[in-house]
Amino acid sequence: MKYGFRRTMAWAHGWAGLVVGWLLFAVFLTGTLSFYRQEITAWMRPEWRPGPAIERSLAADRAEARLKTIGRQANRWLIDLPDGRDRAAHLAVWRDPGQAPRFQREEFDPAADRPVDARRTYGGDFLYYFHFDLQMPSIWGRLLVGLAAVIMLALIVSGIVVHVRIFKDFFTFRPQKGGQRAWLDAHNAVGVMALPFHLMITYTGLVTLMFLYLPWGIDLAYRGDRAAFYAEAALAQSPPAPTGKAVPLVPLGPLVATAEAHWGLPAGRIDVYRPGDAAAVVRIHAADSSGLAHRRHQIAFDGTTGAILAVEDGRPAGIVRAVMYGLHLGRFAGPTLRLLYVVAGLAGTAMIATGLVLWLVKRRPRRQRLIEGLNVGAMAGLVIAIAAFFWANRLIPAERAGRDDLEAVVFFATWAVAAVHGACRPHLRAWTEQLGFAALLYGGLPVLNAATSGRHLGHSVAQGDWMLAGFDLAGLAIGLFLGWLSLRVARCSR
Amino acid sequence: MLALIGLAYAGLAWLCLAMDRHHRQVTGAAVGAAFARSLRLAGSVALALSFAAAVAADGWSFGPVAWFGGVTAAGLALVLLLPYRPRLAVGLSLAGCLVAILDVAAGALLR
Repeated sequence: MKYGFRRTMAWAHGWAGLVVGWLLFAVFLTGTLSFYRQEITAWMRPEWRPGPAIERSLAADRAEARLKTIGRQANRWLIDLPDGRDRAAHLAVWRDPGQAPRFQREEFDPAADRPVDARRTYGGDFLYYFHFDLQMPSIWGRLLVGLAAVIMLALIVSGIVVHVRIFKDFFTFRPQKGGQRAWLDAHNAVGVMALPFHLMITYTGLVTLMFLYLPWGIDLAYRGDRAAFYAEAALAQSPPAPTGKAVPLVPLGPLVATAEAHWGLPAGRIDVYRPGDAAAVVRIHAADSSGLAHRRHQIAFDGTTGAILAVEDGRPAGIVRAVMYGLHLGRFAGPTLRLLYVVAGLAGTAMIATGLVLWLVKRRPRRQRLIEGLNVGAMAGLVIAIAAFFWANRLIPAERAGRDDLEAVVFFATWAVAAVHGACRPHLRAWTEQLGFAALLYGGLPVLNAATSGRHLGHSVAQGDWMLAGFDLAGLAIGLFLGWLSLRVARCSR
Repeated sequence: MLALIGLAYAGLAWLCLAMDRHHRQVTGAAVGAAFARSLRLAGSVALALSFAAAVAADGWSFGPVAWFGGVTAAGLALVLLLPYRPRLAVGLSLAGCLVAILDVAAGALLR
């Protein structure tokens, strides 16, 4: 009976892993890179050199002044204040139906008191959004990623069941044995060592979009009025009805100072509803770095007098959700913990990759042309496409209209070409060539940066600009690793 | 954070060395029962201390998160190094302890 159960689980693990493996590889790899979203954006905007860090209350005042120019007749302003990694303030404006534009956004440099003057690019945001919406229209990408995440949870649990000697083989990795044994050891090692991370990141990933995936409880309890639920849970507010009476908005800087003094924590986000109207409300959220729980603390102020309307520190159910959300994003992490997040994320990516390779190795000497081609295209192809995205960022002229979308086109086009190449070439040759090409692309990133921005590695290290230097060094390290991998595969194919 | 990772590595390396298969891999001989017991004890204590170091450095909310990350990173390093350089892999546990002691001492002096 037990034998039958394990066999069934192994069968399910293998086939379910094959079906969603390629998608999960993409989600894990781009998601892992998203931990360095700000650093990637900084590298992709080399002409912008942020000024010195300034007081958050001063940044808030300057952002408010800017929004008074660009955000007239708005029902909501949003200001994401700068922090240690991202010196830009992110401004967004929403308007009621019938007013144009309904939504607009701007990157603002509070130190220089003017908009960020740099090439248009999605930067790290592109990879961040891709990891959960796959650049698909509407909510289809999110639904697909959610489904894959549910299957991922089942894969993790079935993987534990199938891994009979999980403690005995805890430290076992026998690359010298080669073939199926070595691949299975590698799959087990990266799976088991980072198991807490795999479970956490997959489950909390589902939690981040739980109201999209399972809205029916809310619909039942709130009789279909989801806005009422969001407002009560302090997750999102609807702008109050306008009174039509113009009253100037209270200066935001002092409100930021009040909120920070109340918490003893830095402020991160300011929401202004009906700015300039008598009904105005200002909500200030503590920064993402303040705790595990994501956006737990907020204070609502009267937007005309500055009086405190409500202090919200979350209620138990909300805090549980906020902690899971915060754990997934890891925005509280300092440089070392962030690196540990990335190491664990790469272990997850490697677990999926080794699992997909193992599926083929297990069936040798029978060949599976379709799966072989898809493996190369989905894995090596994506690795190349991400590098091509960085190269496009520097090779498309900075002034060119629509260049941000063109970068995205280069990403997908490169991926498509790599997929075709992977399907046409002999399997191991395809791996060798694509990994070798990727090694050149990544290893060449510091050279590309030096040639197109003048802020080369020697310069950024001397300046102590570790955000830029870190990207270049990471490119070099990834290039060396991929080159080594390519040579290893080449040796196998001989 | 250095103390956490150093102690986590040492703890995992000793737990690993307490296993017959890996003891053979490193020394070529089977592990004695008494030595295996002391290695398991030392390894467990080092892992517990690494948790204490994590909480002491980062508090009760971030500390446990950092601990899981540190143990994962240390475990990956150990598993990847072991088949290629088994003696170095186990020897690094002493370096891990040294780093932990220096980190704690530097923290105490700078306070």
